[in-house]
Amino acid sequence: MASNEEGSIGTSLHGVTAREQVFSFSVDSSSQTLQSDDPTAKFTLPVDSEHRAKVFKPLSFAKPHMRAFHLGWISFFTCFISTFAAAPLVPIIRDNLDLTKTDVGNAGVASVSGAIFSRLAMGAVCDLLGARYGTAFSLMLTAPTVFSMSFVTGPVGYLAVRFMIGFCLATFVSCQYWTSVMFNGKIIGLVNGCAGGWGDMGGGVTQLLMPMVFQVIRLAGATPFMAWRIAFFIPGFLQVVVGVLVLTLGQDLPDGNLSTLQKSGQVSKDKFSKVFWFAVKNYRTWILFVLYGFSMGIELTINNVISGYFFDRFNLKLQTAGIVAASFGMANFFARPFGGYASDLAARLFGMRGRLWILWIFQTVGALFCIWLGRASSLPIAILAMMLFSVGTQAACGALFGVAPFVSRRSLGLISGLTGAGGNFGSGLTQLLFFSTSRFSTADGLSLMGAMAVLCTVPVAFIHFPQWGSMFLRPSSDGERSKEEYYYSSEWTEEEKRQGLHEGSIKFAENSRSERSRKVALADFPTPETRTPTHV
Amino acid sequence: MAIHKSLFASLLICLLFQISHGATKERLFSDLEKGALEVTAKPSREGVLDAGIDKLSITWKLSSTATKEAEFTTIKVKLCYAPVSQVDRPWRKTENELFKDKSCPHKIITRAYDKSPQSFEYTLERDIPTGTYFVRAYAVDAKDHEVAFGQSTNEAKSTNLFSVQAISGRHKSLDIASICFSVFSVLALLVFFVNEKRKAKIEQSK
Repeated sequence: MASNEEGSIGTSLHGVTAREQVFSFSVDSSSQTLQSDDPTAKFTLPVDSEHRAKVFKPLSFAKPHMRAFHLGWISFFTCFISTFAAAPLVPIIRDNLDLTKTDVGNAGVASVSGAIFSRLAMGAVCDLLGARYGTAFSLMLTAPTVFSMSFVTGPVGYLAVRFMIGFCLATFVSCQYWTSVMFNGKIIGLVNGCAGGWGDMGGGVTQLLMPMVFQVIRLAGATPFMAWRIAFFIPGFLQVVVGVLVLTLGQDLPDGNLSTLQKSGQVSKDKFSKVFWFAVKNYRTWILFVLYGFSMGIELTINNVISGYFFDRFNLKLQTAGIVAASFGMANFFARPFGGYASDLAARLFGMRGRLWILWIFQTVGALFCIWLGRASSLPIAILAMMLFSVGTQAACGALFGVAPFVSRRSLGLISGLTGAGGNFGSGLTQLLFFSTSRFSTADGLSLMGAMAVLCTVPVAFIHFPQWGSMFLRPSSDGERSKEEYYYSSEWTEEEKRQGLHEGSIKFAENSRSERSRKVALADFPTPETRTPTHV
Repeated sequence: MAIHKSLFASLLICLLFQISHGATKERLFSDLEKGALEVTAKPSREGVLDAGIDKLSITWKLSSTATKEAEFTTIKVKLCYAPVSQVDRPWRKTENELFKDKSCPHKIITRAYDKSPQSFEYTLERDIPTGTYFVRAYAVDAKDHEVAFGQSTNEAKSTNLFSVQAISGRHKSLDIASICFSVFSVLALLVFFVNEKRKAKIEQSK
């Protein structure tokens, strides 16, 4: 009897059309202003009960939501440029510093390893100091390492500098954290996908930018061995400028800056040990760690090896190889947002289960194309395989961050950090296993990496939310455990709940009811349904 | 649809490039006449040479054993890597197919073929990397195809090798600029941080 036609049973059914508010209580405009008398509490975009924006307007720069979005992705973009700035210039650098293949490979591993630790630390920094300072620290404290390329004289110095520059990839965590606190859960997949994707584009842009800057400096009269060092000043300078912009134009939370809100008692300071424990205890964090290692991880690896691969295997010129390599990274512009959007769309139809399936599909398909890329022996096929591989893998990255914000509310920052660190760990591992020795040709390395990625994507089937289900299992039918509130308030002890510290998590739980599938949302209401409601 | 068309077109163009490139694929190094030219390369001083400063005295003349002399139009003299500089560096690999061979990337001089002995005073360029080298001269015919060669070392590439030390590429002005920008970056961050903490404290005491 209950049809799936939109709004056919009466307007009291919330959530069916996905165009209505999915809150269990109504939000009227007066409650928006009772939060604080902070002058910045007036919003240009419609917001939910946590003051997170409910719509995403990419062309706007309105305070505080869209501004945070733009500052976030630009910071991340700049850091990607710096981290992979060396890759397209390796043919020059390896001659200047007398590097061997092992040296180049090890430096590649080092360039992504530093971020494993910094991404972990960044999660905690964001939870404790706010996203603005997290981003600014990352940008402005690693800018000196970018400038220090002018001092490098051999393989050891090169490795050390690439390692230190790699720390700035922690901006990924602060960027995703910033968008997660600024945008509502229903659109978070798309927003995180855009922020992540446009930031990741930096890895592609750098393959074009650095050779271009290098050419210009050479034309101005410098020798090649000095020109590449001067070229590094560009990413360094960009980092400083963007860091200053973040500090002056950005805002931590919709209601104001973290330090102001904490001092006025509106946001309680959380204990790091608790935040850490709840992040680590949750098995889903570790599954996401592995998954991201084989989507973003292989993307980072490709950023380091693909230019050289096309240069050596197909005998392309340096600039041509750079253009091909850049197309891989540039696909991020639409591929990752598409992944996030697909995740949000799947959530509207099938809830969290849809998000998990989309994630598995994209990541597996991407990995299969990676296997094909290694097998391709003609240039057109290789380019086709590479583009399909890039879309699949980057969409998987976007889809994963449609899931991550729901794993925890209390430890959101740290989980973003751990997942992000997983990406770098995967990259370091794959570079070490497949691209640092002469055991495999680069082509074989690519195929083996794809095969490993297919295997390591299987664990997504084990992510289960009692309130929403998993890929193969239905949500729990237990009356208490099937509520979002139960899941999110289980991160707080009884003592803390008595003190009311978990209020933020309860609000989040209410807003996250959007992750139920349409069929389950119908079961909430006393109308005849096929599902036997146990808690009517 | 337009995307499909342009993708197909670019694939077609790539294929055409492949086919046209195939015509030169068969020319092999092993087909060239060995020792057709007698080449010597004498460094200007003992020990490791400095790029950008030291010189090589290069001479080449027709060897008595040469047979394809009638085809020679141009002589291309190149600086080549000795085996020790190719270890663990696949981008300098010696390949038999001439178009793939990457062991002689540095051009020294190209001259029209002359029967009389030739010489050239070569100053090592500033983009020559650190390594061990020898000199090879290719004799090229009118179609720009190599037909013969001669080199300053033996067939095993073990004698008469010389070492070059590259320029560092560093410069004092770069170092100073680097330090200045770095200090600015860290200071700016600290100033912002301290300032905000102070403002928050003032807010709280209000």
